[in-house]
Amino acid sequence: MPDICFYFQVHQPYRLRRYRVFDIGTDASYFDDEANRSILRRVADKCYIPANRLLTEAIRRSDGRFRIAMSLSGVLLDQLQADAPDALASFQELVATGGVELLGETFHHSLSALRDPEEFRAQVRMHGAALERHFGSRPTVFRNTELIYDDAIAPMVARLGFSAMLVEGADHVLGWRSPNYVYESVSAPGLRLLPRNYRITDDVGFRFSNRDWNGWPLTADRWADWIAESAEPSVHVFMDYETFGEHQWAETGIFDFLRHLPTALAARNIGCVHPSTLATRRPIGTLSFPTATSWADVERDISAWLGNRMQRAAFDRLYRVGREVKALGDPRRLEAWRRLTTSDHCYYMCTKWFADGDVHKYFNPHASPYDAFVAFMNALTDLERSCAAGRPSRPWVVDGEMAVAG
Amino acid sequence: MRVLMFGWEFPPFQAGGLATATLGLVKGLLNRGIEVTLVVPFSLSAVAEVPNLRLVSAADPRPGLRSIRIDSPLAPYGGAEEYRVLAEQGTGGTRGGAVYGADLFAEVERYAAIAEQIAREEPHDLIDTHDWITFEAGRRARAVSCQPLVAHIHATEYDRCGGPGNPEIHRREALGMLLADRVVSNSHMLKGQVVERYGIPAEKIDVVHFGIEAPDELAPVADVAVARGRPTVLFLGRVTRQKGPEYFLDVARRVADHVPEAEFILAGTGDLLPEMIERAVELDLAERMHFAGAVKGDEVDRLYRAADVCVMPSVSEPLGLVALESLRNGTPCIIPKTAGVAEVLRHAMRVDYWDVDDMADKVIGLLEHPQLWEELSDGGLDEVRDARLGLDEAARRTGEAYAVALGSPLAAFPSHPERSEGDMRRVMPPSLRSG
Repeated sequence: MPDICFYFQVHQPYRLRRYRVFDIGTDASYFDDEANRSILRRVADKCYIPANRLLTEAIRRSDGRFRIAMSLSGVLLDQLQADAPDALASFQELVATGGVELLGETFHHSLSALRDPEEFRAQVRMHGAALERHFGSRPTVFRNTELIYDDAIAPMVARLGFSAMLVEGADHVLGWRSPNYVYESVSAPGLRLLPRNYRITDDVGFRFSNRDWNGWPLTADRWADWIAESAEPSVHVFMDYETFGEHQWAETGIFDFLRHLPTALAARNIGCVHPSTLATRRPIGTLSFPTATSWADVERDISAWLGNRMQRAAFDRLYRVGREVKALGDPRRLEAWRRLTTSDHCYYMCTKWFADGDVHKYFNPHASPYDAFVAFMNALTDLERSCAAGRPSRPWVVDGEMAVAG
Repeated sequence: MRVLMFGWEFPPFQAGGLATATLGLVKGLLNRGIEVTLVVPFSLSAVAEVPNLRLVSAADPRPGLRSIRIDSPLAPYGGAEEYRVLAEQGTGGTRGGAVYGADLFAEVERYAAIAEQIAREEPHDLIDTHDWITFEAGRRARAVSCQPLVAHIHATEYDRCGGPGNPEIHRREALGMLLADRVVSNSHMLKGQVVERYGIPAEKIDVVHFGIEAPDELAPVADVAVARGRPTVLFLGRVTRQKGPEYFLDVARRVADHVPEAEFILAGTGDLLPEMIERAVELDLAERMHFAGAVKGDEVDRLYRAADVCVMPSVSEPLGLVALESLRNGTPCIIPKTAGVAEVLRHAMRVDYWDVDDMADKVIGLLEHPQLWEELSDGGLDEVRDARLGLDEAARRTGEAYAVALGSPLAAFPSHPERSEGDMRRVMPPSLRSG
């Protein structure tokens, strides 16, 4: 019987408001505080709080045999602390059961691993400090933003002291190999790689409510049967936490699925393992990722964030402005800049959905990818000018506790 | 004289020059003691960017002017394609619980049907219409009241599309101008087109160059920080093929090579905006080309005044109010030789819209030679303040066109009388009425 390894990603960005050309030099509040607050509240009520309650009960009832891993981005933690302390408390209660392993990532859910190793390390350390502060634990397994990984990223992660890393079980990397094993990085020997089994994950994450799917309606027992069929050691199910109640509404029965899952797994003798436990197992072989791979879209590459020219221009400029912001040494500006490094901003500029004729495929706070680009570039212009002018810090709208790299 | 006018754009909304032109005309007519009832379509649930929403705030009552609003998401300058997008975004209004058809022509029909009612309710001596979208409304109104009909033509489908465009729109333009007792054209250039392409007799067409208000003292406006202390070049207009935004980008690239600190603002929205944003990135202008989107209210004057040069690379520009607005703000403007304003403006640099090298050369010249800049700025200001380009002059000439229409033998009988209640009504020619 295989083991199952659950991992849930919990993240909400600071979305930009429609920052216009007229705002440059006059208004340094780049973010749509009101929208961010109301979205956080909605997701907390529809997903975080009810799902946390379910998982807390399940872990307690199973005496710790049911266990999961989670990663909460730093920008989410900041937002929870400022605007939804009840949801933060419910995460703390869940973690306190001892059944949750928290993973490391970049505090700002950024793409810094692809561009700026120094910034990457700073954000990973910030995130570790935040976990320590909120949950009293330090992560030993890493997951990069959107599971982005390539051979160049592995040594950076290994040097930061992590023992394993979550990666996408992409067909173009695995080839004939199965994702249901522990592998080792080819570029950082010793660093274990845990590939996501996207097929079994997507049964829940994407297909759960699809009535045209022959697996519908999916019950916990049925899904557990599929896992039990595997003769391989461990099935890695990695998905957004927002799957529960947000991507799949409560009306689809997703919470009932989650409620019955621990019993269904236990009945089949499927054990739950933490990523750090898998990291102690002997790897079956090495994996090489010559190009950056992510868990997004059918392409499983980074084209959702850096696929078009606008995205690349914005990304290049972002890190160029970053150098000036850091040179200035103003922590408030630095935090504003770091919130712009959140990958979602680039994601909103993605135009590849157009080809599918599926423009509304993903929630985008901007009217179009072009609006997203214009708002982002305007904010960067303001930030760049304010640094060049070396003006004293204006009242930057950065709520919550300031998180500054240690 | 009471004029029943069918329009659709009205300030503070600025999709293009038409709102300004309508406001200017109405103000001028009111000044001359002509009563105007303006019928405007607008959308109740529209978002701020949607042209017609701005009309709601035009409720500001002006003495002698009554505004009647018809709910409609009409966006005639976006064309049928843009209308579809607006309808999908749910920006269409609702009226009496009616659900709108999802195409522009259905909206035109609805607008025209309501025009019929309004013509019954509103006493008037003359009907005035503006461009194809209101022509059908004018025709129906006249079928009710049998009063003389004037058709203003601001731009044709040829101008908007750079070719024949939509045949149905062309047909409506031709029919509207044919049925009208008088046609008022923005410029001689446009008049020539109307004669040549629509077969309208030249003697039926009056040319009235629309002016703008240009007070001696302009109200102060806030600056635009992005342009502060930097040479700034502005494009303002609908981002559509007609306005030539792609030439502006090419000019910007050339200017940036010579004046590294230059900033560029592209203000306006339209179907080419996504393409222009991508093109700006491609030309490595992403960091200095600022997209202002749809601008409204005092943002328009703020942009003109923040800019050092305004560039109007329109492929077709029957008039070109942007040039007048720019000059009114003391900002020199580069205009296409073929624009209608080129017929009346002396203090503007003229170019071929496609000659990006020439345009770039002129922009650089203006940025680098203060004497040239001052000459064009001062001269342009004097020119737009001149009575020749004032609102009163445009209103006076329009009034003359009205008078001709009132006396027109056609006016006494509808050219296509519609039977109602089984018989044809005969109407006394207005000139014979009492008063």
